[in-house]
Amino acid sequence: MELLHNLGIDWRLLLAQIVNFLVLLFVLYKFAYGPVLKLLNERTEKIEKGLKDAEEAQKKLTEIEKKEKDVLTEARKQAQEIVAKAEGMAAKNKEEIIANAKAQSEKILADAEKKLELERTQMMQDVKKQVANLVAMAAEKVIEEKIDDKKDKELIEKAIK
Amino acid sequence: MTISLAPEPLFHIGNFIVTNTLIVTLALSAIIIAASFAMRSRLQLVPKGFQNVFEYVIEAVLGLVDSVTQNREQSKKFFPIVMTIFLFVILSNWVELIPGLGTVGVYGEHHGENVLIPFLRSSSADLNVTLAIALISVFTIQFMGIAAIGAAKYAGKFFVSPFHKPYFIGTFVGILELISEIAKIISFSFRLFGNIFAGEVLLIVMLNLVPYFVPLPFLFLELFVGFVQALVFAMLTLVFLKMAVTETSH
Repeated sequence: MELLHNLGIDWRLLLAQIVNFLVLLFVLYKFAYGPVLKLLNERTEKIEKGLKDAEEAQKKLTEIEKKEKDVLTEARKQAQEIVAKAEGMAAKNKEEIIANAKAQSEKILADAEKKLELERTQMMQDVKKQVANLVAMAAEKVIEEKIDDKKDKELIEKAIK
Repeated sequence: MTISLAPEPLFHIGNFIVTNTLIVTLALSAIIIAASFAMRSRLQLVPKGFQNVFEYVIEAVLGLVDSVTQNREQSKKFFPIVMTIFLFVILSNWVELIPGLGTVGVYGEHHGENVLIPFLRSSSADLNVTLAIALISVFTIQFMGIAAIGAAKYAGKFFVSPFHKPYFIGTFVGILELISEIAKIISFSFRLFGNIFAGEVLLIVMLNLVPYFVPLPFLFLELFVGFVQALVFAMLTLVFLKMAVTETSH
């Protein structure tokens, strides 16, 4: 006890210091460490969540980009197919139309020729008939006498041959 | 120039002696508590200014505790006592750097002599303070050990039956462990007391020998010593805590 007294240890002071430190510990625990640790935890959670969200968004974005690309290539392929089909159809149509037109024009041409031929022969016949009449009249006038019909006809025909 | 191993009494309240170190201790506690309240009222999720510093310190210490415990849950349990010891001890140690220490005071009767009684005395240079913290530290260690692994298992660390594998060696080691638990109190309190008391004496002596410039390097030295001692106190408490909550593997 003499040693403790020489070192300045006094149980009342010791007790006071212990109580003081415990109070300090309690107050700091309650009002400083607790809130700060809670805050740090909260922030860590928030940051982690933010990072996770960002990562997810990035993932989704790349996914969407890939999908977009796929859709685009698909669309392009389809468009090409359609164009190719249309081209094929157009070519076929063109040939058909041309063939039709040709056939029709040929037909028209043939018809016209036929008609022309018909008209010409008819015209020829008419002319022949008229000429025969004319010649007959002229001959009648010239000879002023009618030989018999038979001879007449013979003569005319001889003349116009 | 007077050097007293014991803190100097300033006045009495009834039977209770109020010493200069008690005043310093109370002032320090008040400052720490006021600072913590000031900080708490300005706590924000997005840190600004001083909060950054505070959070940085807390995170650094928590990381340090983590590196010893390797376990976040345990770290959270140990953190308050370790941090408080560190804060309180480092501030107590650095009180000796305040100008006027050991020199500003009143003349009074002390051990039958008329001597200068300084108002300020580093609270770590008072065995009552260091012993108080050491007692709290060691009791916390025992308490945490019992809470973590159970009273029976914890007692089994010290009282080993001589009829099992290491026989009498185990029993002997157990008793040594028990003695070392008590020795912890003494080593904790006297290490801190010795370092800071010596530093204080050194500073007073240097100031008396050469008042200008020469004490400066010693001030820096004491700044460093104060930090190291606080760190040692806190880290030892932490390591002992970890040892106490770990079961023996035999």
